Amino acid sequence: MTDRPALVFDGVHKSYGRSKALSGLSFSIPRGSICGFVGPNGAGKTTTFSVVSGFLAPDAGTLDILGLPAFDPWALKGRLGVLPQDAELSDRHTPRELLVHLGRLQGLAARAARTEAERVLALVRLGDRSDSRIASLSHGMRRRVAVGSALLGSPELVLLDEPMAGLDPLQAKSLREALTAVRGLQTLVVSSHNLDELERFCDYVVMIDKGRTLREGTVHEVTGQSALVEWDVVGAPSLEALHAALPGHTFAMVDGVMTQSAPEGADLDASSIVVVRVLGESGVGLREVRRGVGLERRFLSDALAESADVP
Amino acid sequence: MTSLRDILLVARFEVLRAIRTWRAVALFLLYAIAYGGAAYVFLAILHALENQVARQLGVATTDTPGALLGPLLKSEMFQEMVLGMTGNPRLVEEVAVIPPLAIFAMWLGLLLIPFFAASASAECISIDMASRALRFEALRTGRLELVLGRFVGQLVLTAVASGVAAVVVWGMGMTMMVGNSPLQLAYWLVVLTGKAWSFSIPFAGLGVAASCLTTSPAWARVMAIGATAGSWVVYAVARYFEGGTYTIFADLTLQLLPQGWLRMLWEPGFGWLLPALVCATLGAAAVGLGFARFAARDL
Repeated sequence: MTDRPALVFDGVHKSYGRSKALSGLSFSIPRGSICGFVGPNGAGKTTTFSVVSGFLAPDAGTLDILGLPAFDPWALKGRLGVLPQDAELSDRHTPRELLVHLGRLQGLAARAARTEAERVLALVRLGDRSDSRIASLSHGMRRRVAVGSALLGSPELVLLDEPMAGLDPLQAKSLREALTAVRGLQTLVVSSHNLDELERFCDYVVMIDKGRTLREGTVHEVTGQSALVEWDVVGAPSLEALHAALPGHTFAMVDGVMTQSAPEGADLDASSIVVVRVLGESGVGLREVRRGVGLERRFLSDALAESADVP
Repeated sequence: MTSLRDILLVARFEVLRAIRTWRAVALFLLYAIAYGGAAYVFLAILHALENQVARQLGVATTDTPGALLGPLLKSEMFQEMVLGMTGNPRLVEEVAVIPPLAIFAMWLGLLLIPFFAASASAECISIDMASRALRFEALRTGRLELVLGRFVGQLVLTAVASGVAAVVVWGMGMTMMVGNSPLQLAYWLVVLTGKAWSFSIPFAGLGVAASCLTTSPAWARVMAIGATAGSWVVYAVARYFEGGTYTIFADLTLQLLPQGWLRMLWEPGFGWLLPALVCATLGAAAVGLGFARFAARDL
């Protein structure tokens, strides 16, 4: 594994007629990360995935896909796995037949493709339906077959467009566990509207809106988990006492929630002991403590700021 | 090598997919019924001709077709019929040694197989572009390999349909006609059905090309069947002008149309290989035209 990013977009544009899907989109996803790709409907997430997969040709900009300047099915054979959002599966086949076929097209030998199909079907918990016609499977099961196709052969870069859509909570949990298990070994880019879910298992995040990047970085950086604590308190805390107890930290009250901003490199665990002590001394109760602002709030604030900027 | 491997993998998958659709089963069934029905009519005509020959010779008429085949094959009437079917007087004598039912099977094949091939192959790409199922394969192989694989798959399906039709004709020849050697009839059916199949290549290519142009399978089918029917009209017009004022244009048109090579497909020995090769080239050219659009389009 190299330090070179797995996927880089630099000023990529793509339009459908007059409608701009990507307007100079730029980001860089580190190799081995699990990256959440976040944006509202129409932000350009699916277009981005389609450009990487070669389904759509970009109008302008440069790409770096595992070191290649553009999608090349031969150079990326078995190295890139994609779960397209709205592609249907060929429903006349069984999941096993489909996955073996796709595995063989990825360059696997017949026996290896069969073994790999078995592994992936077990991973997405479809081992018992591997010989049923895809036409007879539920929406969630078909979705899992499609997810399985993206994971076939353990490709270096996997793009998953809404992988949890249509899955029940148990299926979503097991898929999340399967994806988390490859952390550091493969680069996963996961698009989802469920930001809480992404925050739980992603370590990198790219936020986009209107075809442009709003923000990107590690989940800790983006959500401020290493510098921001929200204290949902009962009563009015003495901010002066807190400032005195923790010099360099900033405390403010916003809508009944006390926000603590720590200086860079501060030990938040140690500071929280001090905060709890000061709050206790001033008779202030505590309902909830949150590290960072949460991906959802960060995204909403960024998106709102962006729409205020754009005339 | 990898490219060829991918083409064969895509073709295999395409055949498996197609034979599991009700549309394909219905198309196969219709094709077999058309063959069976037409063979039945042909046997009735053959029977009538035999009885006519019997009356001319002053011998007893027969209840079953095939009983007076010997004298019938030598009759002018039958030779005129074969001339009408093959269109080449030089071939009448050569072709007349082949079981009449096999000749009929090839003649019918040349008539039906273009429409069967064009219609069946018209949806092979468009349907998966519409559902975007094509994306799963497009991620893993080249677009050329995808198109060629589907084309090869369609040719295999056409061959299977031709084989089914040949079995139907053979069965009718064995049960409704006397004097046929099972092995001889089977041999000639295989040979002539193979020749007729080679005539399907350009039309399968036309279907695949139409399939590359649109995401609507229905529209692709309309284009493919329309182009196939149109090629017959152009062929008839070119034949009409052949040897006349516009003979150069007519000749050129006939060279570029699969139908222009139709008569040569009846050639005995290896004479049919050249028109078969031309048909394959025309099929590849049609696929190439469709691919030019497919290679540049968003999937």
